[in-house]
Amino acid sequence: MSGPSQAEQPAPSLAAYLGTLVVLLVLALAMTPVLWAVLSAFKSRADIFAGDVWPRRWSLENFDDLLAKTLYLRWMANSLVVALASTALGLLFCSLGGYAFAKFDFPGKTVMFWVVIASVSIPAFTTVIPLFGWLARLGLLDTYIVLILPFAANAFGIFLMRQYAVAIPNELLDAGRIDGAGEFRLYWSVVLPLLRPALGTVGVLIFIASWNSYIWPLVMMRTDEMLTLPVGVATLKSDQLPEYGMLMAASVLSSVPIIGAFLIMQRQFIAGLTQGAVK
Amino acid sequence: MLWPRLRRGLTPYLFLAPFFLTFIAFWLGPIIASLIYSFTDWRGFASPRFIGFANYTKLFADPRFWVALKNTLFYGVVYVTILNLSALALALCLDSLWLRFKNAVKVGFFLPVTISLVVAAVIFEMIFAKGVGLLNIVQKGLGLGEIDWLGDPRFSIWAIIILRVWRALGYYAVIYFAGLQGIPGDVKEAARLDGCSPWQVTRHVTLPLLKPVILFGVIMSTIWALELFDEPWVLTKGGPADSTLTIVIYLYQAGFQYVELGYAAAVSYVLTLMIVAIAIVQKLLSGREVA
Repeated sequence: MSGPSQAEQPAPSLAAYLGTLVVLLVLALAMTPVLWAVLSAFKSRADIFAGDVWPRRWSLENFDDLLAKTLYLRWMANSLVVALASTALGLLFCSLGGYAFAKFDFPGKTVMFWVVIASVSIPAFTTVIPLFGWLARLGLLDTYIVLILPFAANAFGIFLMRQYAVAIPNELLDAGRIDGAGEFRLYWSVVLPLLRPALGTVGVLIFIASWNSYIWPLVMMRTDEMLTLPVGVATLKSDQLPEYGMLMAASVLSSVPIIGAFLIMQRQFIAGLTQGAVK
Repeated sequence: MLWPRLRRGLTPYLFLAPFFLTFIAFWLGPIIASLIYSFTDWRGFASPRFIGFANYTKLFADPRFWVALKNTLFYGVVYVTILNLSALALALCLDSLWLRFKNAVKVGFFLPVTISLVVAAVIFEMIFAKGVGLLNIVQKGLGLGEIDWLGDPRFSIWAIIILRVWRALGYYAVIYFAGLQGIPGDVKEAARLDGCSPWQVTRHVTLPLLKPVILFGVIMSTIWALELFDEPWVLTKGGPADSTLTIVIYLYQAGFQYVELGYAAAVSYVLTLMIVAIAIVQKLLSGREVA
């Protein structure tokens, strides 16, 4: 697909050297803020205000402060619970629905599908305003359920699931039906395993959306105990004398899970994040 | 024999029910309700009263809304241009890279995208900080004067642009790179055999074939640009002197600080219309199915 294959590729030209140089430079620039955050997280307060690049003394005081003086661990637990629950529910909802869209004919199917697709381009904060009013009335602000359900109904997720489910051979499903499998049984033990690549992609999509979301929990969560990581970390930022070290420790610690997940599942992450870009 | 057939008929609805009920409750219902509320004076607890287009006329008469719109558009145009041009250049460089490196580089480029916007903003707080920030340390090293990136209205929006480009550049470069990989090698080869220079091949063969992907990148980044909220809210709260006030910050303040929900709904619909218009332009230009 990509030009001449490796074997017949000519020796790198000057352009290739220049291109490589540019790429490595940009890569270094892209990594700099991350490294800066890590370095700063390990600096003592005095070192930070001295304005040096390297810590003179590697110190854990920022992390101690973070864990002792803030609800950091609670926010981390909230974020994990909420992101994992919305991913699990979202995978169930989207795979069931996507399979129904792909393999069943029923009245209203086309309309329902286009309603879902059309909603993708509507910005999320359009929904925040009425929901804030309604949920406040129902007394549902400050509950996990409010942070979980909106991400479980991921319109793009159901669209992707349908695309993958279309490829499942009908013969396979009919064979299952002849063998007497009920429809849910068929979904659970035939369809779901075949959807595995889609599950990875959609799972990553939902997990990232939930883990990184800010305006939604910012509006819906009222008490310090119920904040998620991004909202909690942002509250640590005071306007008076910013505790840079503690902020960097919080940034580094809260990026570790997502970067770890990314490094383990790069393929699914890159697939999830670039879906729709290139066919 | 009615029951089994009825059950078959019900199956797809049962399968769609969990998704659709949640979807209606948290997306479709609120999207429609928001439009209706935008014509009312809803303030949360008291029941809303219909007031026609009053919210919209109030909105267009508010100079702060125009400031927010102007900031958002300025930021959007600059950000989308810088981001897509440099991502395209970077993708062409990636294409010329030795194959062995490509995957590792791709992973490195993707890293900033996984970091949440808020955490990225907090990290950049310490890059832009006056005196102790990395940028000012570098500036001092180069003999340039100090800049109060976040405190000076002339620079604050540029700080946001730098942060956003940093986070998105690798992501867009990888998307463009994937597009380049999708262009059949023999097309380029044929042009080369016809005597085209590498630059001519890029200009007349590669870029035209890449057009759908470029269009996707430009539209997606434009929509994202219009929804700018997290970074300016975390870093500057829209300030100093409203220099980073965006439409979504304006909306947030109206809805959740002044609790004028009807008015905020009107703001959200002005923005929604802008975004839907862009989505329609994309559909018309590309004629492809991109959700």
